[in-house]
Amino acid sequence: MTFPFENTSQFYRRAFLSQYAGSLGGLALAHLLQSSDRVTQGKEIEKRSNVGRAKSIICLFQHGGPSQMDLFDPKPELTKWHGKPYPGGSLEVHFDKQMGNVLGSPFGFRQHGQCGMELCELLPHTAKIVDDITMVRSMNTESVDHESALRLIHTGRFLAGMPVMGSWVVYALGTVNANLPAYVVLGDPGGLPVDGQRNWSSGWLPAVYQGTMFRSGKSPVLHLETPAGVVEPARRNQLQFIEDLNRRFLNQHPESSELAARIANFETAARMQTTVPEILDVSTETESTRELYGLNRPETKEYGTRCLLARRLVERGVRFVQIFLNGQPWDTHSKNAESLKGLCARTDQPSAALVQDLKQRGLLDSTIVLWTGEFGRLPVSQGTDGRDHNRHAFSLWIAGGGFRQGYTHGATDDFGYKSVEDVVTVHDLLATLLDALGIDHRQLTYPHDGRETSLTDSEVTKARVIRQLLH
Amino acid sequence: MHASMRPLARVALAAMVSSCALADDAPQFDRQIAPLLKAHCVKCHGPAKQEGKLNLSTPADLIRGNEQGAVLVPHDLEASRLWKQVQTDEMPPDAPLTEDQKSLLQRWIQLGAPGLPKFGATKMSGDHWSFRQLKSSTVPTVVQADGLINEVDTFAQTAREAAKVNANPEAEKWALIRRVSLDVTGLPPSLDELECFLADSSSGSHSRMVEYYLASPQFGVRWGKHWLDAVGYADSNGYFNADSNRPLAFRYRDYVVRSINQDKPFDRFIVEQIAGDELARYAPDQSVTAETIELLEATHFLRNGQDGSGESDGNPDEVRADRYYALESVMQNTTSALLGLTIQCAKCHDHKFEPISQLDYYRLQAIFYPTFHIERWVNPKDRFVFAPLPDEQQRWEQQSQDAKERAAKLRRELADWVKDHRVRGDVLFEDGFDSVSERVEDQWSDTAPGDDSPGGSVAVKLDVESPPAAMIKDGKLRIIEGGTQGDSWLSTKAKFDWTPDTVGEAIQVTFDLIDKQLQTDGPAAFRIGYFIALHDFNDNSATAGGNVLIDGNPTEGTALHLDYPGSDGRSIGTLGTTGYTPGQNYGVRVTNIDKGKFRIEQLVNSFPDEKPVDVRAGDLPDGGFGFEYCCGRSFIVDNVLIERISASPKEDRLLTELKKRHEELAKAVQRRKELADNRPGKIAWGGDMASDLPEVHLLTRGNYSSRGEIVQPGTLSALGDGASPFAVTTTHTGDRSSGRRLAWAEWVTRSESKAAALMARVQVNRLWQQYFGKGIVTTPDNLGMSGAPPSHPELLDWLASKLIQDDWSMKSIHRIVLNSATYRQSSHLQTESFKADPDNRMVWRNSSRRLDAEAIRDQMLAISGEIDLTIGGPYIPTSRLESGEIVAPEDITGSSRRSLYLNQKRTQVVSFLSVFDAPSIVFNSVRRNTSTMSLQSLSLLNSDFAVRRSRAIATRLQRLESDELNRLTLAFQIFYCREPNQNEATELIRFLEHQSKLYSEQSDARDRAWQDLCQSLMASSEFMYVE
Repeated sequence: MTFPFENTSQFYRRAFLSQYAGSLGGLALAHLLQSSDRVTQGKEIEKRSNVGRAKSIICLFQHGGPSQMDLFDPKPELTKWHGKPYPGGSLEVHFDKQMGNVLGSPFGFRQHGQCGMELCELLPHTAKIVDDITMVRSMNTESVDHESALRLIHTGRFLAGMPVMGSWVVYALGTVNANLPAYVVLGDPGGLPVDGQRNWSSGWLPAVYQGTMFRSGKSPVLHLETPAGVVEPARRNQLQFIEDLNRRFLNQHPESSELAARIANFETAARMQTTVPEILDVSTETESTRELYGLNRPETKEYGTRCLLARRLVERGVRFVQIFLNGQPWDTHSKNAESLKGLCARTDQPSAALVQDLKQRGLLDSTIVLWTGEFGRLPVSQGTDGRDHNRHAFSLWIAGGGFRQGYTHGATDDFGYKSVEDVVTVHDLLATLLDALGIDHRQLTYPHDGRETSLTDSEVTKARVIRQLLH
Repeated sequence: MHASMRPLARVALAAMVSSCALADDAPQFDRQIAPLLKAHCVKCHGPAKQEGKLNLSTPADLIRGNEQGAVLVPHDLEASRLWKQVQTDEMPPDAPLTEDQKSLLQRWIQLGAPGLPKFGATKMSGDHWSFRQLKSSTVPTVVQADGLINEVDTFAQTAREAAKVNANPEAEKWALIRRVSLDVTGLPPSLDELECFLADSSSGSHSRMVEYYLASPQFGVRWGKHWLDAVGYADSNGYFNADSNRPLAFRYRDYVVRSINQDKPFDRFIVEQIAGDELARYAPDQSVTAETIELLEATHFLRNGQDGSGESDGNPDEVRADRYYALESVMQNTTSALLGLTIQCAKCHDHKFEPISQLDYYRLQAIFYPTFHIERWVNPKDRFVFAPLPDEQQRWEQQSQDAKERAAKLRRELADWVKDHRVRGDVLFEDGFDSVSERVEDQWSDTAPGDDSPGGSVAVKLDVESPPAAMIKDGKLRIIEGGTQGDSWLSTKAKFDWTPDTVGEAIQVTFDLIDKQLQTDGPAAFRIGYFIALHDFNDNSATAGGNVLIDGNPTEGTALHLDYPGSDGRSIGTLGTTGYTPGQNYGVRVTNIDKGKFRIEQLVNSFPDEKPVDVRAGDLPDGGFGFEYCCGRSFIVDNVLIERISASPKEDRLLTELKKRHEELAKAVQRRKELADNRPGKIAWGGDMASDLPEVHLLTRGNYSSRGEIVQPGTLSALGDGASPFAVTTTHTGDRSSGRRLAWAEWVTRSESKAAALMARVQVNRLWQQYFGKGIVTTPDNLGMSGAPPSHPELLDWLASKLIQDDWSMKSIHRIVLNSATYRQSSHLQTESFKADPDNRMVWRNSSRRLDAEAIRDQMLAISGEIDLTIGGPYIPTSRLESGEIVAPEDITGSSRRSLYLNQKRTQVVSFLSVFDAPSIVFNSVRRNTSTMSLQSLSLLNSDFAVRRSRAIATRLQRLESDELNRLTLAFQIFYCREPNQNEATELIRFLEHQSKLYSEQSDARDRAWQDLCQSLMASSEFMYVE
């Protein structure tokens, strides 16, 4: 279609946005390019996006706050002081009345791989990929409240209603597969995670950038099946008729990006009816792949299937895939050790399998796999056998997409309470992930409430790219 | 305008241009300079962080400068340190201002910093435009006065002239009636309304049409929903995944719809919702009037927030946090919906972007604390009062009495009938517990007949009260069980032959079940157990089997165990289908059915129940009859009777009669129960939980366990003024309410005050947003300092003043806006204006807007003729299908009611609505996104809802018009309110013909083609948008 006045900047941007929303890349880029005082930076971004290795992200989100000292960050001092009052001074405790003594980890740690990264015995499969991942032991965040901490790591802010990173990434890069949403959430069949749909909300970014939830089971997306009795040629003719009607209306409002997008959406919808079921059918995978992800075992089958689907989606050009767990299983306020056993049995193998599989297929260079929760846990017990929330330290790992391999970053104090060396804030993490995708976090902005806003809001948060994490 | 300007600069320039006609052409402080400073400087030099001890967020502080003196000297660039640092790109450090921005600032200082108060005249930190009192705006004079209808147009035209954009002409009549009808009622015009309006060419036709829709009860449904969203209404508690229901919330929803329909003055509307109970001086159990009831219903406003405290089962800290969460929700809903402020930040520290201190936050908390008294907590489901009207109460009492009497009468008649018709045999045993001695031990024992030890490790004591025991009281036998002693039994002293010799011969035992508990408030037995063939507790006798336990279940299906208790005991299935309820007679009959087999049947009122179980002779040795003692199951029985019946009774005909009587009785009992459960006047209210005045503490860093200073109730200091004092009047003796809410509600509604001014601005802004797609302030949830600046500040203030002047009549504002030429403009594109103002901030047209989710669904039901326009009442339940889709099931009465009346469950938003951006209410919602997604297309093409509506509309069209050509025209009128043009008509026919051919294999090809045509129109943009 030809637009009557392509030189009008605002109009151009809007038309561009709508035309390619969820179908082609470069939206924010287009937006940046049309701003005269940023042309230079915009071009720089363009160049950078060619050198950025990563094209997509898979986020394996571990709700509840995985216990760093029991999984990734060995602390012999804890064992030494086990059962004694905490000697390290005052602690910020969420449930202060239940604070107990130092709680040593009951799990053994051993070095793995060529890099010699130390991991807990509950993670035998992650142990196999240590030479491919960056382990960050010096994370911190700003809240000990689940919802706030979730919003911080997803949106960079406490308050509800802000756009999540996935939305920003898709806004910046678009997708390369017009038949699929650019941002897919693979939900837990057990139910929504804590804070629900806000975990993938586009906030005040246009709604096309919000995550599309694929349900487990037969109907990942509602209404993929043509109603009974509607024959295919009739459906095609009907779609054409709808398009004609909509085009006539668009002609009366040629400036409307929404109306143009509506036309495109009917086409996408029709294509999704065949493509989505295909993608979700993992029966075409080889037996060895299915075994790798643990599809043959009841404890790993469900989570493993979703990890495998994540690979299939990324393979087909989906930009951002997020896997969530229902509720917040890592929130081990009581029976910490026992719960961790079950959780690791469920998630260790499939998470590692995803990295191995992507590597085998040559996709790991272009795909970032991020394994993280929203905060960590305390070195002392809550009640007798639990651990309370801790915002001062947590660990996470990242694989692929230009992140360093076999590298351990930063350190916590002797008790794992506080990150003290090479501290990485959640804002730094967001800035670094964007950088790996070839996006300068300071330039990825969107006008909102009368100002240019960004994911990292670096003027306030001082977010910076942590170069040591990248090659 | 330059083609490639940054959005911020563009907005600033547009604002500058627009201000030209209003004053001289100096940059405006409010609209240009303050936003500029806010965006680029206030982060580091603001209320939160005052780097260099400099605060640039308020006029006063800007004037004050810092310790080194002034940063800004009007008319003197050289002396203005602010300018020097900006000019040299020293500030802002990371992203220097653009040349446009710099020149704006430069000019402003050169011109004497207009808009700043006289130096030294202010020390108010809350001197933000929306926090000021309302001054009557003078309606400006405009150059182009043609076509202006009212003040809205004068203000709008002034702004347009400044921005060099031209107003669009009035939309066509068909488009106008469709727009007004959908905007005002959320429904499309009916064919009659359309025809009537199109035919009316007289001068006042538009106003009359507007009045017609404003008077429609559906106006309240539509605008009630806007209000309910703004205050966070939902039919469920949320917070946890349990998301339990709020079955009584609908009374508040109905109150809102009613109030909006009667145009209740907005100030009154607010006072009622915040403090209706205090206004009525209501105390529970006092007799009430209809007015009081309405006031109590209104207070459910306070409970709209999420409240998980009823499901909270965590540790005490979590429980406390969940309670606080409910309290914080009401604060958030109130400040957001009424005042357009975000206060949550101030929970932990002074607000970084708004003049709201942490102390302000806790002063406000003290207002609502008595209702959500953390230490005297009442769970949501228990937070109600019964406030029926006297005649309502009387009617209910009468009905309850009648129902009780009827049930009693039917029970008596049944007993008499049974007595007359039951099979009679030879009485082997009888105990009515009426003997003179009143001793259990006369006929009963703790030991089975012939056994060597008592039944149970702790034997049942006879004629005492301490458990396990059996005693007679009031002529009835009490089975008193203690709960922890394990199994034991009470047995008849006599033993009986449970295996009659001849085929057809039977032995039966029956008893009256008087009650399932010993005291009315005691625990109810969850089983009524009794034995036949009792002979051996320890399994040490030579005879095997026996000890057959009939374990009666209150609901249905009686478990049958052989040789109970002990490890060799075994379950042999379920007996009968009737549950054990007091007031009936129960028992079993054992009949010889030949070949050594014996049939056990459950007897209910002496007649056999369905589902017998067959056993062998060896299972039934001679033995006693007895009652089981176990696990806290105590009950009362009477009239134990054991009889031998010599031949199979013929009972078939009698059973039918019995069944009928049973059903009749069950119905009467059910009716009695329903009445008892539905005591009238139940209102889920928001009254104070306890009469003691709580101490409310400031919580250090917002931590629930870090109590700081005690805080008194109060108001937001930025809105403090002399015009509206805040005072809690002492309440009269016996009042259980603190009076705090009433004081706050009166403070916020006092016409002359800053608070009322802000509240009025927030309301008219939201109203504007509904009629134009965007508010005058585009952040309707935030009119604070971090919110967007208004596009038409004078118009906003004029409308706010008008609202207050017209006694807070919202309809008055609706009327002004709907009648304005500005609203009536067409949506069409005008190239020049579009180039100048692509976002239509100057309202040079009324942009086409996609309907919101509810209007889309309701419109589909309306044009298909299926809509049920009933107003009010409990919500229509929704359900989650296996596919995950959430629907209002089509087979449920009310599934075609307006969307407002479907269950507004937070975690279960009807899929068809949520795909079109209906929010899942977590907090409140004052603005909807309009997303455009493929999932919407899928829903319109393939959902059962869309398919059914298409079918219904096709059927309706066929019924209305038999001629197909005319029918096509009619379809366009129904869908779009207009007739098709020549091209469209041709295309419609072509589609119909072609589609019929494609379906030619099917017998209903033509019908299908019509359905597809209707579905296509339904999916079309023209239908989904108002123009």
